[in-house]
Amino acid sequence: MWRLKAVRHKSSVSVKDLEEFKQKRREHEKVLRQARRDRQLVSKRLLLNEEEQEKELMETNCAPLSQDQIREMLHNVQRGGEKAAHLAMLRKALRDPQTHLIFTKLENSMYVLVGQLSGHNAQCQLEAVRCLYELSSSSHPGVGQSCLSATPYLLTYLSSPSAKLTELCLYTLGNLWPDGAVVKEKLLVQGMVPALANCIQNQRCNLAVMEAVGFTLSQLLQDNDAADKVIPMVMTSGLVPHLISLLTPDPEFGMGVAIECAWCLHYIISRITDTSMLITEGLLSQCSNLLITLGGAVAKGRTDDCVELLIWPLLRCLGNMLASGVREPAGCSAGVEDVRLLAALCVFSQTYLTSHCALSRESLWVLNNLTAGSFVLCSAVLFLKMVPDLLQLLPFSNGINTMVLRVLGNVAHNGPEYCIQLTQAGLLSVLCATLKMADPDIVTLSLEVLHLLTASSPQIAEEFIRLDGIPLLEAIQYNSEESQRLRASCILDYYLHAHSMVLLWIKVSQKQR
Amino acid sequence: MLQSTNLIQLLVGCDAQRIDIHSVPVVKNSSDVYSQQFAKRGDGLEENSSPFNFTPRTIRLDKDEEFFVDGDVHRHLYLQDLVTPLTEESPSLNISEFQCHIAGCKQLFDTLEGYEHHYNSLHRHVCSSCKRSFPSNRLLDIHILEWHDSLFKVMADRECMYQCLVEGCGLKFQTSKKRKEHLITTHSYPSDFRFDKPKKMKRGTKEEKIPQQDEKRLTGPGNVVSRHGELENCELMDFSLTQESESHELALPERQKPHYTYKVPPTICFGHGSVRGFRGGRKKK
Repeated sequence: MWRLKAVRHKSSVSVKDLEEFKQKRREHEKVLRQARRDRQLVSKRLLLNEEEQEKELMETNCAPLSQDQIREMLHNVQRGGEKAAHLAMLRKALRDPQTHLIFTKLENSMYVLVGQLSGHNAQCQLEAVRCLYELSSSSHPGVGQSCLSATPYLLTYLSSPSAKLTELCLYTLGNLWPDGAVVKEKLLVQGMVPALANCIQNQRCNLAVMEAVGFTLSQLLQDNDAADKVIPMVMTSGLVPHLISLLTPDPEFGMGVAIECAWCLHYIISRITDTSMLITEGLLSQCSNLLITLGGAVAKGRTDDCVELLIWPLLRCLGNMLASGVREPAGCSAGVEDVRLLAALCVFSQTYLTSHCALSRESLWVLNNLTAGSFVLCSAVLFLKMVPDLLQLLPFSNGINTMVLRVLGNVAHNGPEYCIQLTQAGLLSVLCATLKMADPDIVTLSLEVLHLLTASSPQIAEEFIRLDGIPLLEAIQYNSEESQRLRASCILDYYLHAHSMVLLWIKVSQKQR
Repeated sequence: MLQSTNLIQLLVGCDAQRIDIHSVPVVKNSSDVYSQQFAKRGDGLEENSSPFNFTPRTIRLDKDEEFFVDGDVHRHLYLQDLVTPLTEESPSLNISEFQCHIAGCKQLFDTLEGYEHHYNSLHRHVCSSCKRSFPSNRLLDIHILEWHDSLFKVMADRECMYQCLVEGCGLKFQTSKKRKEHLITTHSYPSDFRFDKPKKMKRGTKEEKIPQQDEKRLTGPGNVVSRHGELENCELMDFSLTQESESHELALPERQKPHYTYKVPPTICFGHGSVRGFRGGRKKK
């Protein structure tokens, strides 16, 4: 069920290339990070026809084709005869990105291609889309713009009954989208969003097409300016209920579709203020049920199936929905029905601690959003005995321990009984450790939590003194940060002083006896 | 790994069952202790001077938040790095070449997929009156309405009836010319968009429009004089089922107006899914 269809390349990497592959991946990651900083993170998706894979690998060594050779290919296509075969030749030539500019600069080249695309030989049509698909993967935006003459047809074929044609058109359009403002504007006025909505409705049973729709839509939605134009269009297009219903991994096909749809939904939710429509469509329960199932898969140790690719966007959908949804004041369950969701989040944060610590952090962020202001869910944290697990995460930085402290603070904030149970789970001794940490945010948050605990019950204050907490707080009083000094002395003066006096008095009286 | 067995049990154990939120015992603060504590907090610290400001709050994060960087990078590594095989095809069955079963279509196939694609592209949405084929249901519906519905002409005189071809646009126009203008200006469609060819209303104009090119073509293969003894000059609205199916790409400049006719006898009815429309709605007498 959690199979990912797309891991082929990994197995195809032989052991001796592994180091090289890793090196390449690291460099690639660096480029992506820079792009993310510049808010330019976009991708084109490269598909490979299975039968071509080996041939292509062999051909990569060939010298790049000259302009004349490509012109010759184009003439062959024009001249007739075995058009489909000539188009296939052309497509193979276009696999080499260097040929893209040469091709687009040839006179009539796009015209011929569009002619084949709109013609009535089904095979030629398919090969023409494949050529366009190759062109669409070009990193040169000029190439994308010259493909614009084909877009009305590509969009028209989104309602074609031929699934293969539709799938290719979708990936081509999705790859073209990032090629500049002109392309985006054109595609929108040519009716891209309604065309996608229509496609998702009609081809619902073909999961390969659904994955392609998801990818293409995610390209539109992750645009920096999506909030102005694309998102409102998508929200009114009727696409959303389909996206939500597609959030179910298919036992045969794998989870590719769910991944794409979940990312689409994340891009929507993180940009709109009112998520009530999505919640009434059942997105919240869909997300949490799926996360529970995924939690089971992860708990069984199935992390090598790349399930994190699906967990990630789901967490974000859920987290932001909880942060923007209006809470029902009485139940405070935030729409969550099965509390095993909390357990799943905890398992994610533990399992991915070393491999993807950002995923751990995001799981805890969702846990924070769940427990904030909900005494029912805070009770559930205690009921499921999650506190010891959370405490184990406190030594880890990268934002993990701040989120854990926030969650613990959320629980403690509900009153003395909650505080007592937290203390029984061993919170105080761990707090003693975090108070010594260098990160000022951790110390401040620890002081906040300590304040909630000591203020709630004198027994906890006494317990803290018994754990030699007073010297710790006194040390903080010499800290350079005023906010920390203030908090530490406040706890000492108001909550611990009285008790320490009592304790002192007890000790003295014991001695006197 | 520090996974806890307790939580794993909840998720995968044999007794892993849904734990309803209503079955969770809510921890209650015994009222006297709680109120006492509140009083004490008030005593100890005046609210406004308290240095403590922790309140449980949900955190909303924007798409571009720093917090999300790693996940975004991971997503794009997946999109770029992994080469996904296109629709995994089950090894295609080896079968001997066969012909498309639609009369007049001589296309040969050696795989079922190829045939399936061909059938879906060319024979799925076919107009029953004029055998034109369309890439989508919607375009076929519009075609039938505009070309073969006898009421359409009457209606079109009274109200705007020409629907915009773009999915989701929903606008209607008085004439097909106005629609064309709309397609070009609003949706930046090309002026020669293949699926927007107006119907020729009068035979007079039609004959005018059969100039030399057609004479040339008459000698070509696959040209047939229709059953009404009239050269059917179809204004290339679409694909059609000519034998010479290769000859009509989007016309290159030198042959601006390709014309062709049908070979399919009108009495032949196509198979499932192929016949749509008002039968005999526009039969010429």
